[in-house]
Amino acid sequence: MSGGVRARRPASPPPGLPHAAPTSQRFPHPRHDHLDADARKEAASRGLLPSRRTHAPGGLNLAPAEWKLLILVVLLACGVRLFRLSQPNSVVFDEVHFGKFASKYIKSEYFVDVHPPLAKLLITLAAFVFGYDGRFDFKDIAKVYDHVPYVAMRMVPATLGIATVPLAYLTLRAMECRATTALLAALFITFENGLITQSRFILLDSPLIFFTALTTFVWTCFCNEDKHESFTDSWWTWLVLTGMSLGAVVSCKWVGLFTIATVGLGTIRQLWNLLGDLRVSPRLWMRHFVARALCLIVIPVLFYMFMFWLHFLILSNAGDGDGFMSSEFQHTLRGRQMADTFADVAIGSEITIRHVNTQGGYLHSHPHTYPGGSKQQQVTLYPHRDANNDWRILNATHDSETDLEWMEKPLTYINSGMRVKLRHISTDMCLHSHEMRPPVSDVDFQNEVSCYGMPNFPGDANDDWIVEIERGDRRDRESAHRLRTLRTQFRLRHALSGCYLFSHKVKLPEWGFEQQEVTCNKNAVRANSLWFVETSYHPKLPKDAPKVNYRLPGFLSKFLELQQVMWATNAGLTDRHMFDSRPDAWPRLRRGINFWVKDHRQIYLLGNPMIWWLSTAAVFSYIVVRGFLILRAKRGYKDFENTKVVKYDALCGFLFLGWGLHYFPFYLMSRQLFLHHYFPALYFAILLSCGVFDLVTSTLRPRARLYIAGFLLCIAIWNFVYLSPLVYGNRWTRAKCEQAKWLKTWDLAW
Amino acid sequence: MSEASSSRLRQRRAEKAPDLSSAAIEHDDDDYAISPQNPNNRSELEKVLDNEKASMAIVGILTALAIATRFYKINHPDEVVFDEVHFGKFASHYIQRQYYFDVHPPLAKMLFGLAGWFVGFDGKFAFDNIGDNYSEAHVPYVGMRALPAILGSLTVPLVYAIMKECGYSTIVAAFSACIVLFDNGHIAQSRLILLDATLIFFMTMTMYSYIRFRKLRYQDFTPQWWGWLLATGTFMACTWASKVNGILTVFAVGIAVLIDLWDILDVKKNYSMEYFTRHFFARVAGFIVLPITLYLFFFWIHLAILSNSGPGDSFMSPAFQETLKGNELLLNSQDIRYLDTITIKHKDTGVFLHSHPERYPLKYDDGRISSQGQQVTGYGHDDPNNYWQVIPTKALPETGRGRIVRHDDVIQLLHVATDTVLLAHDVASPLMPTNEEFTTVQKDDQTRYNDTLFQLKLVDGHDGEAWKSKSSHFRLIHVKTKVAMWTHPKQLPDWAFKQQEVNGNKNLNDRTAVWFVHQIVADETGEDFKHRVGDQPDKAPKKRNFFKKFAELQLSMLQHNVALTQSHPYASSPINWPFLISGISFWTSNPDQKQIYLIGNLIGWWTSVGALSLYAGITIASIVVRRRGIETLSEPVRNRLWNSVGFFFIFWAVHYFPFFLMGRQLFLHHYLPSHLVSALIAGAMLSFILSETVNYPVSIPGPRMPRSRIRDRTFADLGTRGPVIVGVFAVAMLGLFLYIAPLTYGTPGLDGETVNSKRLLSTWLLHFQAKETGDVAV
Repeated sequence: MSGGVRARRPASPPPGLPHAAPTSQRFPHPRHDHLDADARKEAASRGLLPSRRTHAPGGLNLAPAEWKLLILVVLLACGVRLFRLSQPNSVVFDEVHFGKFASKYIKSEYFVDVHPPLAKLLITLAAFVFGYDGRFDFKDIAKVYDHVPYVAMRMVPATLGIATVPLAYLTLRAMECRATTALLAALFITFENGLITQSRFILLDSPLIFFTALTTFVWTCFCNEDKHESFTDSWWTWLVLTGMSLGAVVSCKWVGLFTIATVGLGTIRQLWNLLGDLRVSPRLWMRHFVARALCLIVIPVLFYMFMFWLHFLILSNAGDGDGFMSSEFQHTLRGRQMADTFADVAIGSEITIRHVNTQGGYLHSHPHTYPGGSKQQQVTLYPHRDANNDWRILNATHDSETDLEWMEKPLTYINSGMRVKLRHISTDMCLHSHEMRPPVSDVDFQNEVSCYGMPNFPGDANDDWIVEIERGDRRDRESAHRLRTLRTQFRLRHALSGCYLFSHKVKLPEWGFEQQEVTCNKNAVRANSLWFVETSYHPKLPKDAPKVNYRLPGFLSKFLELQQVMWATNAGLTDRHMFDSRPDAWPRLRRGINFWVKDHRQIYLLGNPMIWWLSTAAVFSYIVVRGFLILRAKRGYKDFENTKVVKYDALCGFLFLGWGLHYFPFYLMSRQLFLHHYFPALYFAILLSCGVFDLVTSTLRPRARLYIAGFLLCIAIWNFVYLSPLVYGNRWTRAKCEQAKWLKTWDLAW
Repeated sequence: MSEASSSRLRQRRAEKAPDLSSAAIEHDDDDYAISPQNPNNRSELEKVLDNEKASMAIVGILTALAIATRFYKINHPDEVVFDEVHFGKFASHYIQRQYYFDVHPPLAKMLFGLAGWFVGFDGKFAFDNIGDNYSEAHVPYVGMRALPAILGSLTVPLVYAIMKECGYSTIVAAFSACIVLFDNGHIAQSRLILLDATLIFFMTMTMYSYIRFRKLRYQDFTPQWWGWLLATGTFMACTWASKVNGILTVFAVGIAVLIDLWDILDVKKNYSMEYFTRHFFARVAGFIVLPITLYLFFFWIHLAILSNSGPGDSFMSPAFQETLKGNELLLNSQDIRYLDTITIKHKDTGVFLHSHPERYPLKYDDGRISSQGQQVTGYGHDDPNNYWQVIPTKALPETGRGRIVRHDDVIQLLHVATDTVLLAHDVASPLMPTNEEFTTVQKDDQTRYNDTLFQLKLVDGHDGEAWKSKSSHFRLIHVKTKVAMWTHPKQLPDWAFKQQEVNGNKNLNDRTAVWFVHQIVADETGEDFKHRVGDQPDKAPKKRNFFKKFAELQLSMLQHNVALTQSHPYASSPINWPFLISGISFWTSNPDQKQIYLIGNLIGWWTSVGALSLYAGITIASIVVRRRGIETLSEPVRNRLWNSVGFFFIFWAVHYFPFFLMGRQLFLHHYLPSHLVSALIAGAMLSFILSETVNYPVSIPGPRMPRSRIRDRTFADLGTRGPVIVGVFAVAMLGLFLYIAPLTYGTPGLDGETVNSKRLLSTWLLHFQAKETGDVAV
């Protein structure tokens, strides 16, 4: 581009005179793009350029030649990303999970995963269209596929991975970088081994990165529009698109929240600037505010909820995710529904009791004893329906003698404060507690709970419990005063020691079949000592006595419950994994992830070292230069009045913000982290490195710039080719593999 | 002030604003508040309270009340309460000079030791359980409890002094002091042998000194300026050395100092770089070098006192332990000689290196193939299969020191029970494809000889260092393939009896690849090896560099602090603290239904929360409004809100928000430092609400003061409303304080109904509550 010559137009208005949009529309300028970004900025700052344009320099108005170039790049990306996509023909890394989830969607079996559903739904859609029946179990890494359209499924991430490449180009163009720079960025993304590897398998990160890139692009376009003129049709279009795309990114993985934070900070900045602009009336400011709130908060939330609506719609059958959900929720799943049960609980009722706060399930006992402590029969929580969950509630108010003749007496309902015994029906023993430490939570304030007694033995005073009704249901007034099935939450206080029947998320060891521990706790956390009766049966109640069932939760309560469960599960992923890593290792590319090994071939997730380290260097150089500029500004230097500084500060500043917000929050997470969590940040870092390239080469002639870009690209491609056997799982010699260990910490398998 | 001087004041004022009367009229109707320039124009009450004598009287009353509330029945209960279990015990360790280990730095605990020593405590009482009786054991516990009580009492006048120094009127300062004075939480915490009172006292001292220092900024590099700078550094170090969370005070001061330096750097202030550099290095000296030196010094004293072996030995490395007199390692550690039979234990997981005749299965579940060699595993229990003999790979002298195994020696390990030799080779281990399998081969299999060679690398070893039982931590490096013998807590499947996998880790420097010799079982002849020791005299403790000891201690303190994650019934999450949702049960006594429950004074705490939200609201509103070009606050008031209250707010936030990031158990008393600071903010907010006047400027003028900074003096005037409101407030505080005092002092005993009535929030978990439902079936 040789815009420099034409920049000196004769008919420029003198500075100070108005030269607003109307004039430029009356005399449309022949071509706006003939100036490169710097020259335009410079001219604008001198007031020489008609700064208002008919259309903002969004990324979509490219020259026809650029479109052709872009098509070529996309074809190249297809070649790189789709090469031998069917290889290996066995399960790779987390395909174990995500393939399995696709099977479950197809079988509509309920499951719980820590990630939102969008990306999984897309994969499922591909599998469904290509006729997958959901029979394959994706059990282990390297299990050979059998009747699974796995190529079609892998096509989803691969396609999105390919689409990321032109997005990088368009984004940088929309940020007013030169075509060479944008091309360099697109090709860096194309040849980034890590991004390629990640996009070739049934994994969620490629969709995530695609949507992150899409959001960045549409947001940039929106910002361009916003600088130009607000509330136009295209302004609204880009804003709504940003909202949709934010919804999509957060529906792939929760990491998308960082993208929301990036856009959110950008929005706050815009609003802050508008606030400081005294020409903007409060009314107009409110319009700006409401428009953004609507599009950037409401739309993403609705999008996200819609995804979950689909999720619930598809998963209508019971499956292995039931155990995570509350009993009301489970009741909505086919195969877990429960028949109506008597509403009243009376002396002699046969009941099952569930724990309120954990999903441990029913109060349970079985004919196995504790290995330590009292060596009496175990009492646990068990999540499934079973005859061993049945208890008979008996009157214990008569001193020392259990009222076994309840059949002959009239019905007595259970009131608050009543003293009862709970007799385990299948073993004929009573729920019992005494001054012994429980097997796992061996602390002073916990007592062991066991089943003790024998048939026809009325039991001792340690079997006595006092029912304390905690709260009833608002719509069933009686339930606050006497025990009603499903509606009353109550605590059971041990009559002699005053401790409360208690359970918490602690599993018994193998001898207890890893069921949940039940204890009697003297300092019980209230929520963990609450119980309710799930089913109740009494022979003396007439058939037409009032019956109850769970109230079906609405979409909103199901949605909120699932969010909580996902959060808890996510926070609970703290086991070490062989290939996990901490965030400080990522920018250095200290170590990769072993995805798949078989027959001396392997797939190892590793970045393109040159691109990777270059991007990290760009980030650090930005920090150093920006810090230096701030110090200079404090000492009175006027750098920030230089248009070049302003332009690149805005560009690199935004990309750095994106990088930082997608990277630093990981330091706060204590869950398992992997190298691929860095990829969204890497995307920003690569764009940033290209922004730095644009700045550094801004004084050079276009040809020289092209040579430098070509040189960088050659190194990148050489790196890619050198390590490509790790990407595609190609045959490799041992010597080459050893040679490829550039860092000692890259633990390639051999 | 005399009439003459006041008229002079008027005249000076007149030069700038010729029409004084019109300015005085504006005072009423405009946003620009003109304070009474003449201190005599203030209300009578304000004038009375502002003079020196009244101020002294108020300080006197506050201090007297503080002492009274903190010392009232300090001898009750005469039992070990809550964490006195720990801190009392540590004090007795100082007196007995036994080494102990704790996550907190030593200063506050040393002070307890000192107090105990001063009142003649012999350190024999063990502080084993909450509820152990002091009187029966003749422990002078009152003397030890007096220390935090004194410091806690002194904190109250300090709060008053901080507010006065910041230019608030006397009555506002008294208000802030009242919030701390009548706070049940502060009182309960400072009557017992706990670290928090010390921490809070030093934190308050730090704030006070920093404010004094900051007020001298126009007289920089004068002796007073240096004095307060160094005082700040000193108290900062004391805070930090009292309790781990004292480090937050260091951060808070650090932030304030950075903001200060940033201002000095500002080109508009017209200071030269050379001037900035001088300030910078002065602060480095006062706020970095001095505190670190003091902190190290406290640890030096700590280690110098604790010279005997004690319960903390096992937390430390062998090299550290050998510096303690009477340490087991020091006494029992012995040189290992070739052909000795030993047991080897993994440092982190505590399992023995074990082998048994069973073999690895040919094929694992995931399809990989093994060597089918004999299994080598980690096993937790003592067993003859843990016995290994050290085989030399070089010629040995007949007798003497040449037979001792040393650092860097290449050895073989013979499994005694199966007569096979330990081996590692390039076969993937059962659980980890990246790591090498460990197995054994027949002793005489010469073809595999090279695979059985291991090099002994002692941790921090030097050439020729002897390999010792118990005290030498070592890595075992396979010579041929360069892997380190390693084990991890993952169990092998049933075919290996669920024992732990042992494999070769390619990361030779993995922190967890460290082993030690647990025991020498027998020597070459199979005889009792003890004769080697003979009857040597007791070994003298070794010397070790203080900095090495300090670094090790500091590191393991941090690690243990992070590891304190087990749940506690009275632990609470930080979000609940400012609202006083729940307290901590410190102590109960069943026979007479007495209890100590740590809970604050509801009025004081909620006032503070209100003040904090008011401050946040005012700040945000004023930023937004200023952005629209509207000025609502006069300069003195805005300055006060930004600089003085802003400083308090930094302290509050820095002492509060980091707890949200901590995974360890957290308790209400972690909020007490923040609560104290929020009382200061509450005072500032009261002053803001009552009047738009402040005492301004508060900084002491000096040569550095630029002409542009010379401001007209303004004086605070709260009128009569101020004292009335504060008086009512103080009475209300006192009333509520007395109402829940039985929970704070643990006496008198309360019956169930009374306990219920004292339970102001339903979330407080008090003991001895009466059941709410009256109709308990009999």
